[in-house]
Amino acid sequence: MLTEHMILTPVLIPLIGAMIALLMRRTYRLQAGWSLATILVSLIVSIWLLTKVWRSGQPIVSQVGGWTAPFGISLVGDPLSVLFVVMSQFVFAAGIVYAMGSKDSVVRYPMFYPLFLILATGLTGTFLTGDLFNMYVFAELIVISGTVLTAVSDDRHGTEAAYKYYYISLFASFFMLIGIGCLYAAYGSLNIAELAERIAREDNRPLLLAGITFLMATFMVKSAVFPFHFWQPDFHAAAPTAVSAMLSSVVVKLGIYGFLRMTTLLFVGHAPMIRGFLVVLGVIGVAFGSFSAIGTHNAKRMLAYSTLSQIGFILIGIGWGTPLAVAAAIVFTFNHSFIKSAMLMLAGYLASRASVKSASFEVVTGIGKALPLSGILFFIGSLALAGIPPTNGFISKLLLFRSGIDAGQAGTVLLVGLAGLLTIFYSMRAFQRIWWHNPPAGSKVKPGGDHLFAPIFLIGMVMVLGLWGNLLVNLARDTGQWLDNPAGYIQAVLRR
Amino acid sequence: MEIITAFAVGLLFAIDIFQTLRRNILRSAIGLVLLASAINLFLLSSGAYNGIEPAYVSETGSVQSDALPQALILTAIVISMGGTAFVLAMINIISTRYKTRDMDQVNGLKN
Repeated sequence: MLTEHMILTPVLIPLIGAMIALLMRRTYRLQAGWSLATILVSLIVSIWLLTKVWRSGQPIVSQVGGWTAPFGISLVGDPLSVLFVVMSQFVFAAGIVYAMGSKDSVVRYPMFYPLFLILATGLTGTFLTGDLFNMYVFAELIVISGTVLTAVSDDRHGTEAAYKYYYISLFASFFMLIGIGCLYAAYGSLNIAELAERIAREDNRPLLLAGITFLMATFMVKSAVFPFHFWQPDFHAAAPTAVSAMLSSVVVKLGIYGFLRMTTLLFVGHAPMIRGFLVVLGVIGVAFGSFSAIGTHNAKRMLAYSTLSQIGFILIGIGWGTPLAVAAAIVFTFNHSFIKSAMLMLAGYLASRASVKSASFEVVTGIGKALPLSGILFFIGSLALAGIPPTNGFISKLLLFRSGIDAGQAGTVLLVGLAGLLTIFYSMRAFQRIWWHNPPAGSKVKPGGDHLFAPIFLIGMVMVLGLWGNLLVNLARDTGQWLDNPAGYIQAVLRR
Repeated sequence: MEIITAFAVGLLFAIDIFQTLRRNILRSAIGLVLLASAINLFLLSSGAYNGIEPAYVSETGSVQSDALPQALILTAIVISMGGTAFVLAMINIISTRYKTRDMDQVNGLKN
């Protein structure tokens, strides 16, 4: 009984923590410390939940308010969602550590930490909820808190980027509402498990295809998949560093989660069609993201475009759809969050030490000569992005390519492997410009800047997950097997 | 009644999409507000829709509408109201910062 309700805690702790942090708005240090404590407690609880779910192999289901499944709102902690929650809480904890050591004036804004915690609430909520409409509400929470955090950024154009993002994600929310409306009109339920059961029983109701299309469009906007990517580099480059590290690493994983649920649970009958589409989008994303990253003149934008190509790899894994490929996609998702948040924090660190606060290559060229530690971290991060051995990026790419060859997709593997090589090109070019080139005459490195604790921790995790990747791979493999059997999820929620 | 609702939803969608794509940022925000109401109307008709019948009736056995979409709309209305206020606040900042109301002039973000 108690364990059941523990699944609520990763959502409730940051939410209540945010409210209490609001009361502390006059004392900055107390507020920051409180926020860190909140997110750490939430992280510990979610790790405990993960071990619990993994050991028993059964999801933890909580029916809020005691109403049984199709009528009440259920929160479902199955292996997939709990793993995603642990991933996001890890990165959010690092983000708060970075914000505490940041010299940006935006972190002094009294609403900064509460909004940050609300962002964490929204993300864990979307992962844990078992109800489509609830997912919409939590997604909206992410959108609003993310937009406000960007709009108050130190960057002069933060508001413009926020405005752009808000428009496009408002459209995504509208798409989601239309999709929910279509599915409700066709099947008369919003509970994901019951919907999955009814769709599996009869998968040719008139509005079903419209519902699938609108939900896909929603998740494509949320993950910035190729045709809907245009807002992402602007938004991620203009946000405050601590926030952009969250947005570009874990918040974009919302769409990935949605696609996993769509192909393995909700629309199993139509999964081959969706998967074929995802592979095509993924290949385009990998190529387009890599080429765009080469064409940028700003380290943060380069990393944002690199997210586009890494999301492409994950979509290809989901698209192949074998349990091994899904496991590879999950490992890739997990590893990418750590790599990308660390890299963005390093880019923000450089910007904070530059004469003008910007991560543009013109400003940061040669700045690294005085900052060797960040150079080592950035180098390891680049290796991880490109997928070169002692890092976790290698494990995720190896697993993905291996699953592709097993699935008989050697052609696609070759194609994305070649496109993936471009990663080395752009990340090493950035490394060269920042740490090897001589700085232009008269440029100075500022004495004080952001602290490096958070990137050191994240790069440490990158190395640890690269050297001892067994645990994560086993977890992902079990999750892939669990996802292969949607009946387990439906039965656990509906208690039939 | 159903046919009127269907036409109203269609017409609203057409007007709103035209309006959101305008270059004037304020007109475009008005389009966004209207779009939210078009979607609410669509959600209302997605339930077991019986025209003007209420959701709750006291006597048993009589016709009644599905209550769930109405609850959904209530949530959606509240969220879109907050969103509208936020969009207007951002428009205020943008129009003072960029000294324009033309979306094409708001182009500070460069590659």
